[in-house]
Amino acid sequence: MFETTRYEASRRVRGTAILTIAISLYAAFIVWYFTVLEGVDYEAVFESMPPAMIEAFGIEALATIGGFLGTQIYNFVWLLGLGLYFAYAAGGLIAGDIEHERMDLLLSFPVSRSRLLVEKTLSLLLPLVTLNVVVGAVIYVLVQAIGESIDPMYLVLAHALSIPYLLVCIAIGVVLSVLVDRAAIAERAAIGLIFVLFLVESVVGGASEFEWIQYISPTYYYDPTPILIDGSYELLDTGVLLVAFVVLLLISQVLFQRRDI
Amino acid sequence: MATIEVTDLTKDYGSVLGVDSVSFTVERGEIFGFLGPNGAGKTTTIRTLLGLLAPTAGTATVLGADVRDDGAFIDAKQRIGYLPAQLGFNEEVTGEQVLDYHASVKGDRRRDELLEIFTPPVERPIREYSTGNERMLGIVQAFMHDPELVIMDEPTAGLDPLKQEEFNEFVRSERERGTTIFFSSHVLSEVRRVCDRVGILRDGELVGLEDIETLLDQGGKRVQVETTDDLESALPALDGVVDVNSFADGVQFIYTGDYNTLLRELAAHDVREIEISEPPLEDVFMHYYGDGEPAQSGQEVESNV
Repeated sequence: MFETTRYEASRRVRGTAILTIAISLYAAFIVWYFTVLEGVDYEAVFESMPPAMIEAFGIEALATIGGFLGTQIYNFVWLLGLGLYFAYAAGGLIAGDIEHERMDLLLSFPVSRSRLLVEKTLSLLLPLVTLNVVVGAVIYVLVQAIGESIDPMYLVLAHALSIPYLLVCIAIGVVLSVLVDRAAIAERAAIGLIFVLFLVESVVGGASEFEWIQYISPTYYYDPTPILIDGSYELLDTGVLLVAFVVLLLISQVLFQRRDI
Repeated sequence: MATIEVTDLTKDYGSVLGVDSVSFTVERGEIFGFLGPNGAGKTTTIRTLLGLLAPTAGTATVLGADVRDDGAFIDAKQRIGYLPAQLGFNEEVTGEQVLDYHASVKGDRRRDELLEIFTPPVERPIREYSTGNERMLGIVQAFMHDPELVIMDEPTAGLDPLKQEEFNEFVRSERERGTTIFFSSHVLSEVRRVCDRVGILRDGELVGLEDIETLLDQGGKRVQVETTDDLESALPALDGVVDVNSFADGVQFIYTGDYNTLLRELAAHDVREIEISEPPLEDVFMHYYGDGEPAQSGQEVESNV
């Protein structure tokens, strides 16, 4: 069991390490930057920003370390950056093998198509879990180091609840990956789609008439800043994300099962 | 039950017909060559046999399992080795890692033995492999779990002549072990040397199903002769001379008759240059299996317009 997951995950070790280090360095920069900004008049900063932008990046309570991290790291890197990254990585999962005709050999293995798809998807858990655990720990240590305090439970929650969101991004990529024959198309389509959904949620969120549109975006169901400020979250949101993940994965299974390679 | 049983198999891609109502069986323990020019539908048939493509109509069973049923096919796949035309191994991993992965899924009891015959540099990343090395790695993975049936798509493409010969030798020894082998090729001479039986595919249709002796008799040789005197006028009198084409300083024809007769005739002339070779596959089809126009002529007409 999980031979394919092991193989695919082993190919992701290097990329995962590099990404983890890069994001940790960015986090270190942000935490250091917070110490520099101490004493800035945030009311004035808010007034100078358009409301849509405040909405888009969840810029609130910048004065507290929780709010600052939520805005500068979680909304920016986790919600947008990693959302795009995982959708991109998942987009290449199947389409890349089909494009390079690797899939011929993989499907000659005594393994069903559905198991192959699941095992390949599972290989993305390596970066998903590593990033959350390592960067989460790094941030906690750094916050302690600058003499601020953040509830470790809030931090754990912000990371744990990002996983269902990122799984949905992965599932979107997987669906696109089984639909097309070329990795580049699936990857770009996945990135484009996540970005559009992110914009839709943040832009339309303010306009009451089209308020309902924001509900189709996975970004609506994961909001790290309030979690980091006071630990507030909706369990229903996480449920919606998990259901979406399962449904999308089932769709990709049906599509993969039926397609010619 | 036959190892491979194909009944009225049709694959329609929509814009083109890949294979059209092909039927054949491959018996246990035989080497079956699947011969045809490029684009004849060989790869389509093979990929259908492995369940990669769903047939538009017809059925195929491999080792008793219906290829259309992904679930039922899994057990049979454990006993199948496959060498596709394009291998596409991940570039950054080493040959060893590729084999380790394949071994973890399907086993590798014959790996070391195979690596003595076929010698890809397993410690190096695939990115540094030549076409021949990649193919050898492909051959090793196809045979290393000691399958009952090995399906290969143009197995010798990219191998140097020496390795090709070793491969042919290896395939013959596999038959001794009882392995059933099904492989495609567009090279008549290769198929002749190792196969027991041959299926000939042309434009998606099976135009011949022969044992190898029959094919040898019918295939003939292509003779190109350059003489100082007139040979061409003497040729029609010879039995088995077809498709005579004359050039400025010689004549070319396909000869299917007795070699001694031909040699006696040639001895009566002053031969300056001679080449006797395998006829191109398309010629064989035209003369012995063709039903008129060769596939190429239609394309030529179109391109002239």
